[in-house]
Amino acid sequence: MPLDTSTTYPLTKLRLDGRRWNELRLIQAQISTNPASSGSSYLSMGNTAIMCSVHGPAEGRRGEASGSGGSAGAIVEVDVNVAGFSGVDRKRRAGGSDKQSSRIATTLRSAFQSHLHTYLYPHSTISIHVSVLSADGSLLAAAINACTLALVDAGIPMPGLLTSCTAGMSGSASTPRDPRNDELDPLLDLSLPEEQELPVLTVGTTTSVPVGENNMDEEEGDMKVAVLTMDSKLHYSYMETMLAVGIDGCNQIRELLEGVIKGSSRA
Amino acid sequence: MSNQRQASSASQVPHLSPAELSYLYTSLSLPKTPIRPDGRSPTQFRPLTAETNILPGTNGSARIGFADGTQAIVGVKAEVEKTILSNETLARNDGGVGGEQEGSAAVGGHGSWVQMSIEIPGFRDDDALPVFLSEMMRESLVGAVGTDETSDMTGGLKGRLVINKRWHWRLYIDVLLLSQPLAYPLPLLSLTTHLALLSTKLPKLKSQGEEDPFFDDDWAVAEYLYPRPSLSSGAKSSARSSFVRPPVTLLVISVGENIIFDPNREEIAVADAVLAISITRDSEAGNLKLLSIRTVDPPSRLTQPGVPNSENVSMLGAVAPTEDVAVLNPATGEEEVPGVWRPRRGGVKRSVIAEMVKTALKKGGVGEEVLEGLEGVEVS
Amino acid sequence: MMADRRRINGPPGGTRPAVFASNLQSGTSATDRAQRQRQPSELRKIFLKTGLIPTASGSSYLEFEPSASLAAARANPKSLIPPSSALKLACTVHGPKPLPRSAAFSPNLVLTTHVKYAPFAARQRKGHIRDSSERDLGVHLETALRGAIIAERWPKSGLDITITILEAEDDRWWGSAPDSHDASWGMMNVLAGCITAASAAIADAHIDCLDLVAGGVAAIVSDEPSGTSTGVPKLMLDTDPAEHRSILSACVVAYMPARDEITELWLKGDSSKASLEDGDTRTGHEALIDGAVDAARGAHTVLAEAVRESLLRTVGQA
Repeated sequence: MPLDTSTTYPLTKLRLDGRRWNELRLIQAQISTNPASSGSSYLSMGNTAIMCSVHGPAEGRRGEASGSGGSAGAIVEVDVNVAGFSGVDRKRRAGGSDKQSSRIATTLRSAFQSHLHTYLYPHSTISIHVSVLSADGSLLAAAINACTLALVDAGIPMPGLLTSCTAGMSGSASTPRDPRNDELDPLLDLSLPEEQELPVLTVGTTTSVPVGENNMDEEEGDMKVAVLTMDSKLHYSYMETMLAVGIDGCNQIRELLEGVIKGSSRA
Repeated sequence: MSNQRQASSASQVPHLSPAELSYLYTSLSLPKTPIRPDGRSPTQFRPLTAETNILPGTNGSARIGFADGTQAIVGVKAEVEKTILSNETLARNDGGVGGEQEGSAAVGGHGSWVQMSIEIPGFRDDDALPVFLSEMMRESLVGAVGTDETSDMTGGLKGRLVINKRWHWRLYIDVLLLSQPLAYPLPLLSLTTHLALLSTKLPKLKSQGEEDPFFDDDWAVAEYLYPRPSLSSGAKSSARSSFVRPPVTLLVISVGENIIFDPNREEIAVADAVLAISITRDSEAGNLKLLSIRTVDPPSRLTQPGVPNSENVSMLGAVAPTEDVAVLNPATGEEEVPGVWRPRRGGVKRSVIAEMVKTALKKGGVGEEVLEGLEGVEVS
Repeated sequence: MMADRRRINGPPGGTRPAVFASNLQSGTSATDRAQRQRQPSELRKIFLKTGLIPTASGSSYLEFEPSASLAAARANPKSLIPPSSALKLACTVHGPKPLPRSAAFSPNLVLTTHVKYAPFAARQRKGHIRDSSERDLGVHLETALRGAIIAERWPKSGLDITITILEAEDDRWWGSAPDSHDASWGMMNVLAGCITAASAAIADAHIDCLDLVAGGVAAIVSDEPSGTSTGVPKLMLDTDPAEHRSILSACVVAYMPARDEITELWLKGDSSKASLEDGDTRTGHEALIDGAVDAARGAHTVLAEAVRESLLRTVGQA
């Protein structure tokens, strides 16, 4: 019997790596890992490991500063490099970048360009360099979290932590949802085998003020979705559940990252 | 564009004024006792932090960080591949013409089985600097041929990659520099690659002879690519030194008559000559041997010259003409005004090269110190 | 894979041509292996001529004399495949010319070197895009020349040096297994030729240099079958890799005789096993470098003569 979530999950209610539906993978994070940059971070979610370094805000390069919107605020540049040894099989990329990494870079750039208080740094460039050391699913989500940490380390003002997480369904979910006999569970924080098999959604949220311990309820009104990508087929009736689970995951991660930043390692 | 052009030389030209360059050169070329900006002795390396086996998804990996914050990560991955036999090898086996160079593909291994790629932020893969660096490190890696008949490492790394006549390992070495290089990144990359290769393990072979290979699933019994001394026989340094180790490439510069190892960015900016010297331990004799030398284009050739007061129009008449007199620099054979920077010209004398190699290779010299230091890194 | 799906491609990895028994007998027998006829310190003749390309500000064409074995094989052909090849290359220099507007200020002449094999230059076809060995050669050449050119006399200017290799030196005898000594030894001869030719072309373009920089190659070779102990590694100058059974170590230098300085040194391989003459206290690598310098001195005489011709031509025109 092939070991995949759609056949084994209904029997055991356990995922391939032994997690329940609402469990995150182990998150370990560190900031200021690289003294040569303005800000840097290392973040691992399960077997996905990412290093991120931020340079700037610094004077923009000639030509770019005079370009569109250069004078109004800082420009965010993102460079994503997926290491050749990150996957199970080594893959050689032609010309230094591939579709996957340039897509992640575009998403990161647009997310942080609008998220950061760039108007404070006119004529400048903030460049973010992301290295994926080991890829095991939820790459975009992990990259967003690592970037947030590195940007906080660099001291670049932002309204709140932008955190991200993936959510999926434990089956192909192509037929309408039956509310009385719900066989499919939403899953949180997908790993690579799950990501390849199941519909997956990446959601990133932010709050305008830092999360407090006791006033979670009041914060709900301030939560904003900053990133939302999905490119798999799914019946629309499942969408709401997945989003809810994903946003809940983002909140959990936000608390973990706050802990990292404050120096108390609750992770 | 300009950045790319300049990058094809040794490294980017740092933004130092002619006066700063002259000051650096003067203090580094003091006879016998050069004063380095960071107070190191000429043969001392910068402090570094190192760890190995940081990436569980690779066959071997290492990370080294220098105190200035530059870091490199190296991951080694191995894949099994079918050996393409050449016409000649086939013909020899069929026709029995053999005798000479018998089955050399199967025994000797092939240099192209080791692939190396270097990622440096701000550079494309096919820019001159990454290509030059990876060719330099790869050539010493595959060139290191062990002569010890008894060990597994006959034929060096290439020979170790042979599984049987029809199958071999292909080794991918991916080097990742995590930040823009502050100095010429060669020493950092070479040391990290050395450590990653030391920690590289290959699964234990279960098939025998010419069968299609299959391997033991148990990672705990995997064998090191570079075999370790077993605990019973080891522990003595003499036994340890008889094992083949991956080579290291040292960056050496000459300033005046001084020879300086592991230069930082400011030091390399005033170097008369820059040499990359690859060394390894000779498995028979136990001492060090030379694998390759390459000159690296010193960035001092691209610097801006200073203007002596006697030629400076704005200082006309302000100084007596006797104040700066050109003197002959014995190291370069050119007339120079003391304290006024001239971009370096010309090449390097043979005696200087010989001295550089000697300092790197001699017993108790820099090379041994570096190799011993790297062996001291706990390879878990 | 970067397969081009718009075309019908051949099978990946190439095909193997049919090998006939009669071919094999004559083609790969050990007696047909090229043998060095020259003395250890005897160089091949070099043909070097400048100013052959009128559109460039400086140009040169360089050719090595084919090895004796090649001449013999042509006179008395046993096989259609020539036993060795001889270097042929053309070098053009464009400039000094103003840097493009977008380039940053440079107080010195900015040198750009381009080394490209013609697709037919080697026994294995080369692609049209420069591969890593060609880029590597370009960096070596740039290092060699930058030390010789007096760059501060042309601020804000660029100099483009383009070398096309029409016939490259072999890395090994064509009949040996491709792995017998797989390092690219032929590249070193090619580099030495590039340096000499580029130096002539730069002089032809009237660009100030400290000295004419010439390239030379020396190698430590062992000609006996590796199994026997009689094969003592020997130092030879200007080696043709096709003529030697195994090359242990080789070295190429770019050398300026007037200043006795080396601007570029590339040495690889194990040089510690060389047997030198008695009383010679030099270590292997020192002997190797000295040998390469001697070879470069030889090339320098040819170079000086070619530059003199170039000068006479200019004077004659004026």
